[in-house]
Amino acid sequence: TLCFQAFLQMCNLPIQVVCRANAEYMSPSGKVPFIHVGNQVVSELGPIVQFVKAKGHSLSDGLDEVQKAEMKAYMELVNNMLLTAELYLQWCDDVTVEEITHPRYGSPYPWPLNRILSYQKQWEVRRKMKAIGWAGKTLEQVLEDVDQCCQALSQRLGTQPYFFNKQPTELDALVFGHLFTILTTQLITDELSEKVKNYSNLTAFCRRIEQQYFEGHDKDSSTIAARSAKRSLLR
Amino acid sequence: MAAPLELRCWGGGWGLPSVHPESLTVLAYAKFSGAPLTVNTISSSWKAPKGDIPVLISEDNVISQPAKILNFLRKQKYNADYELSAKQGADTLAYIALLEEKLLPALLHTFWIEAENYCSVTKPWFASRIAFPLSLYLPGKMSREALNRILLTKGGPPLYSLTEVEAQIYRDAKECLNLLSKRLGTSQFFFGDTPTTLDAFVFGFLAPVYKVCFPRVQLQEHLKQLPNLCRFCDDILTCYFRLSVSGHSPAGQDTADANLQKLTQLVNKESNLIEKMDDNLRKSPQHPPRKLTTLKLAAGGEESSPFNRLSP
Repeated sequence: TLCFQAFLQMCNLPIQVVCRANAEYMSPSGKVPFIHVGNQVVSELGPIVQFVKAKGHSLSDGLDEVQKAEMKAYMELVNNMLLTAELYLQWCDDVTVEEITHPRYGSPYPWPLNRILSYQKQWEVRRKMKAIGWAGKTLEQVLEDVDQCCQALSQRLGTQPYFFNKQPTELDALVFGHLFTILTTQLITDELSEKVKNYSNLTAFCRRIEQQYFEGHDKDSSTIAARSAKRSLLR
Repeated sequence: MAAPLELRCWGGGWGLPSVHPESLTVLAYAKFSGAPLTVNTISSSWKAPKGDIPVLISEDNVISQPAKILNFLRKQKYNADYELSAKQGADTLAYIALLEEKLLPALLHTFWIEAENYCSVTKPWFASRIAFPLSLYLPGKMSREALNRILLTKGGPPLYSLTEVEAQIYRDAKECLNLLSKRLGTSQFFFGDTPTTLDAFVFGFLAPVYKVCFPRVQLQEHLKQLPNLCRFCDDILTCYFRLSVSGHSPAGQDTADANLQKLTQLVNKESNLIEKMDDNLRKSPQHPPRKLTTLKLAAGGEESSPFNRLSP
């Protein structure tokens, strides 16, 4: 959720975050989050970026072709590694599943619906993991992959303020969203956030974006940001 | 390092040492890094292919996925990436993720799910390489796994039918090819003059699309419109796989002739490229002797001159 907020705020578009239990059903693609503008509803980062671009705001106009290719490649890396690792941790690691994910995912619903829905989601996620070959991975291997991904991001960022020098782009929003969620969400173990914390330029990057784009607003927005950071665990 | 390394993988055809993308990636990397691999292609003997292919066997270690195999080779000091900066290493990871997310679904679809392609080319080829009665079952299983993978990763709403998913994955693949072409530009390899892990992966994914003759070829046609990617594949085939190519398939000789012709055309057309390479060579560091022997082409005359200049 956070990457969308970050992206929209980087484009200087005012947004209001609302949490709803039936969000997955309201969304046209079944995925949260989505934006509701006038009478249009758009979900998922790709279409949202294009929608915003069509309205005249774009963050990546200043990039040349090769840089755009690089940006797309890094976005895929983040999606591939970090997102899958987050899903794995939420749904395939038994301890986390029992203690955190099931209660959270099922919380808006009465018993037994909450158990049924969360088991269904778990089964779905496990099937997907099996199809892409992650089912055989242990937690250590997943953490190692996350570490590799963070190392790559850290090396790409170097000492620059944003990934493509002076201006933030979609990649910055995406990376911020994922890393901030990892850093601020409470899980059974802190191993995942420890991996990210190993790279000081990444934590500085998150803090910088948070200060620049989120603390400029009132207290409400920052609590909403924290609440939606927790809700993004439900994805 | 002295331990013998054996690679079991799918065999070749249509001028390629292997038609399976992952096997081809490992073979290419082994050539780039100079790792001495004994390649055992799977043939219709009773040794059934178990588990993932390609698989590397070294003493007691059995390693199966390309990424893990490459890691293992690097630990054994067969490293094609030692000249890369940290940022380039990061780029490698990112582009590999791009390939797997955007290009691989369409590749799997072309090989395993497109009905005409599967029935007329893929299934007979694989079935001929597997012992009966496994040949009746295994190709079907591989096809189902490919379909499963595509549907689970790409097939959620708002795409509700297989045709919509297909349209989307081919769009993604074409975009990916365009991005790769832009990134490659006019250089010989992705990071300068020496091939690295990324080149191995790109070659492994592109070459089957480029060379295997299918009845339905929309991806191949798109690839052929990107001449720098085609040139990239051909260069690697001629430089690194020349010996094994002519050894294997009967089409090898024709391919060698065709490649020679292409090389001559390349030289006649792109004299700028040679000059540019000259500049790069003067600036680039020395290469270890292991790699040079593979670059010395038997073809005499001008076309070998840019490559000869790499020798000390």
